[in-house]
Amino acid sequence: MSNNAPQEKKYVTLPILGQSSRRTALKVAGAALGLAAFGKADSPLMVIPENVSVDEFLQRHYKELSDDDKRKIFLRLETESRENYGADVTISDPKPIPGVKFGYAISLTKCNGNGKCMEACHKENNHHRGVDQSYIRILEMSKGSMDMEQGTTTYDHAVPQDDKYYMPVQCQQCDNPPCVTVCPVEATWKEADGIVVVDYNWCIGCRYCEAACPYHARRFNWESPEIPSEEVNPNQGYLSNRVRPQGTMEKCHFCLHRTREGRLPACLEACPTGARVFGDLNNPESDINWVLKNKRVFVLKEDLGTKPSFFYFFD
Amino acid sequence: MAAHQGSVNIPVLLVLVATGLVAAIGFSYFFTSSVIETEISSLTKTANLPTTEKKFSVDIRKPIGPPRVLTGLDDVHGSAVTVSCSTCHATREPNPANKVGSDLNEFHGSLSISHGSLSCLSCHNSNDYDALKLADGSRVEFTNVMTLCAQCHSRQMQDFEHGVHGGMNGYWDLNRGAQTKNNCVDCHQPHAPQFPKMVPTFKPRDRFLEKADQ
Amino acid sequence: MSSTSVEQNLNNDALHPVRSYPKFIWWGLGVSTNGNLLFFLWMFVLTAVALVGANAWAVQVSDGMIVTNMTDHVSWGLYIANFTFSVGIAAGGVMMVIPAYLYHDKKMHDIVILGEILAIAAIVMCLLFVVVDLGRPERFWHLIPGIGRFNWPMSMLTWDVIVLNGYLLLNLHVCGYLLYMRFLGREPNKSWYIPFVMVSIFWAISIHTVTAFLYCGLGGRAFWNTALLAPRFLASAFVAGPALILIILTVLRKIVGLQIDEGPGRLLINIIRVTILINLLMVVSEVFTEFYTGGSHTASARYLFLGLHGHSALVPWIWTAMALNIIAVFIFLSPLVFRYRAALMIACAFAFLGAWIEKGMGLIVPGFIPSTLHEIVEYTPSLAEWKVSVGIWAFGLMVLTLLLKMAIAVLRHPRTTSE
Repeated sequence: MSNNAPQEKKYVTLPILGQSSRRTALKVAGAALGLAAFGKADSPLMVIPENVSVDEFLQRHYKELSDDDKRKIFLRLETESRENYGADVTISDPKPIPGVKFGYAISLTKCNGNGKCMEACHKENNHHRGVDQSYIRILEMSKGSMDMEQGTTTYDHAVPQDDKYYMPVQCQQCDNPPCVTVCPVEATWKEADGIVVVDYNWCIGCRYCEAACPYHARRFNWESPEIPSEEVNPNQGYLSNRVRPQGTMEKCHFCLHRTREGRLPACLEACPTGARVFGDLNNPESDINWVLKNKRVFVLKEDLGTKPSFFYFFD
Repeated sequence: MAAHQGSVNIPVLLVLVATGLVAAIGFSYFFTSSVIETEISSLTKTANLPTTEKKFSVDIRKPIGPPRVLTGLDDVHGSAVTVSCSTCHATREPNPANKVGSDLNEFHGSLSISHGSLSCLSCHNSNDYDALKLADGSRVEFTNVMTLCAQCHSRQMQDFEHGVHGGMNGYWDLNRGAQTKNNCVDCHQPHAPQFPKMVPTFKPRDRFLEKADQ
Repeated sequence: MSSTSVEQNLNNDALHPVRSYPKFIWWGLGVSTNGNLLFFLWMFVLTAVALVGANAWAVQVSDGMIVTNMTDHVSWGLYIANFTFSVGIAAGGVMMVIPAYLYHDKKMHDIVILGEILAIAAIVMCLLFVVVDLGRPERFWHLIPGIGRFNWPMSMLTWDVIVLNGYLLLNLHVCGYLLYMRFLGREPNKSWYIPFVMVSIFWAISIHTVTAFLYCGLGGRAFWNTALLAPRFLASAFVAGPALILIILTVLRKIVGLQIDEGPGRLLINIIRVTILINLLMVVSEVFTEFYTGGSHTASARYLFLGLHGHSALVPWIWTAMALNIIAVFIFLSPLVFRYRAALMIACAFAFLGAWIEKGMGLIVPGFIPSTLHEIVEYTPSLAEWKVSVGIWAFGLMVLTLLLKMAIAVLRHPRTTSE
């Protein structure tokens, strides 16, 4: 027995604990209390088992899903949409059209900053109504300068102003995307037709891709999106405009649920001035290739080496 | 081949002339591309570009026809009675000098024109007020007004044909669906064609995003 | 229990060390929860704060990260700032390990375990800060190689996962092994810990380099995209880490009553004298490069130091940090630090706080302001973020306290029995 045992041992005989000191009994009581307090403190976490089914929790990465898996998952998502939003939706999974690589161009002469493209994106993609979320941001820039520091997105006057031009920015679907490189779980990747997509059920929400993107293209779901049931767009794609879960990343996907069926993206159809051009870069006769050949085209932040598939030109 | 002193080397001369002719023909062929001619002739086709066969077409909306003038009277069914332009203009002498509404004594007086330095009869056809005319006097129907616009605004027309002016609806892939485009006067009022200013109605309302100083 | 049966138990344990390791841990838990009133008060307060933090985090998981003040413009904030700083503290412990093991400083060798325990507590805090920053923490398993999809070697975050967890395991092994051997009264086998210690020296450098690479590899963020970031991280870690260790040593001497030789403390002060100057030089280098060049690449630096377009929320913070650092430099370089404990404590506290501001909020937040589209959206942490962050610090302090108590108990009384 060590010499520096200062206290006399007090033995309290308890039925279960047997021979133990008062100190131990107090420690056990304290631990139990602490555990209970910890449980109570963490009780809001119960939302996870309530909202996330076991199937959803164990769901594999999109690239590992079989067609059968996808059918079950889409059915589950459609049911959830009915429960959470009161909307009947169809979730599709269009594959890239073989041989197609999408390109997009905007005429900065034609764009007058009216913002109808932002609004169309908001409606088409089932965005959160609370902040009028959209994948597109329009910068009002000063003529004679390409410096975005002189630009604003919060202009609130008739457009176009005489000394300004307007530059919408959205995901550039880079050929060398920094967001894909940094994702720790491969929740985002570049598809064969050039679109960089996100698997919303695989993303862990670390927001590294949002830090890496040089074009402010990525959005995070800081809360569950709120959409009135009559405004829910029922034609949804699994990798595109289905209602995204809280805590995951999202971004412009060139409306792949439309463009992979051959249709134009929503922002282009809404543009009243016709400043937007979309098409297949691999088709020499496409509008986008005509623009690249005949207009003086540039890309944003070219020095970063991201190789965007999104082009800008002035007439 | 020895050449006699003082005489011209005929075969060499023939070769040179032939080369020159071939070059001349080739050059003239290369540079003869009457842009306006081909542009105007392709306008009347609804499927203009691209050149390879596609299942669906690009449909360009057309104006319904010459404008009709309200008389202010109603017919026996209750619909408004309208007359054509030539109803009045058949009995009046055309005045090529008229440029703006204030030049006129009666009717069209309040019309404000803001279209460069054009006069009324630059576009309107004095031989038939129910049609328009090109610069060379040839007649153009109101339904083909794009031909008239393209006469001066050929760059915009070229852009339009390649989807870079005026927008579109429908499909980018004409193998899967059709594309619809507007015509010029759907967006540009012919007498004051400048695209009007707009007021943005949809703005980002990000948290903590302050409005910049205007 | 009689003393002889305790001896018998210990001998049995020594014969079967692997089987008895859990028993040792259980004993350690028991002995580390013994203490006087002050200790229980300390632990009680820390527990309460940690529970408040846990609750705030649980609310964040259920309501979404909207409870923070982060936005799509400033998408990393207080959590990642604290994460970055904690990695530095964990790396700072190596400033004890190097003199102890590479230079065979015997006196430092006696207390080097403090540095390793600090590293354990700091890494636990790092991991917690990352978890609370995740939007979907229940999807954590997506990161596990083999089970999820681990984007190694492309994503620097995966490197960070590997090096941080590896460093934790290294330190747990070294501390656990040495304390266990001491507990059993056996001489530790050099080949069971010396190689691991050597690896941990290089590993400590790597954890902070990899963390710096997270930021400096992003071309779109000009404020971070500098080669100097990793050296700066290391320099400030080797200021803040030893400063914290000096504070802990003082607490152990004054409040716990431990007899600690002054030698290691003097060595740490001398180390700080060098590293604080290197840190200052790097800050000056960074400031010069930004402000002499000018242009839009320097917008973040202008925002941080001078304010930009009327937005200047961080300006008082960074200048406070600069002042704290410079005052700390002067105190450290003067003989005051050796003569007066109070001067040393002030200098350490200033250096620690200055590093926290400059490296945490003063590095992460300006990287996002202005945004990549040059919009300015400012950021101040919300109450929820403060609760969670302070809660994690409290938990880290709890871990540190318990491990230190256990280590001190073993080192003082290698064959002490439980009650």
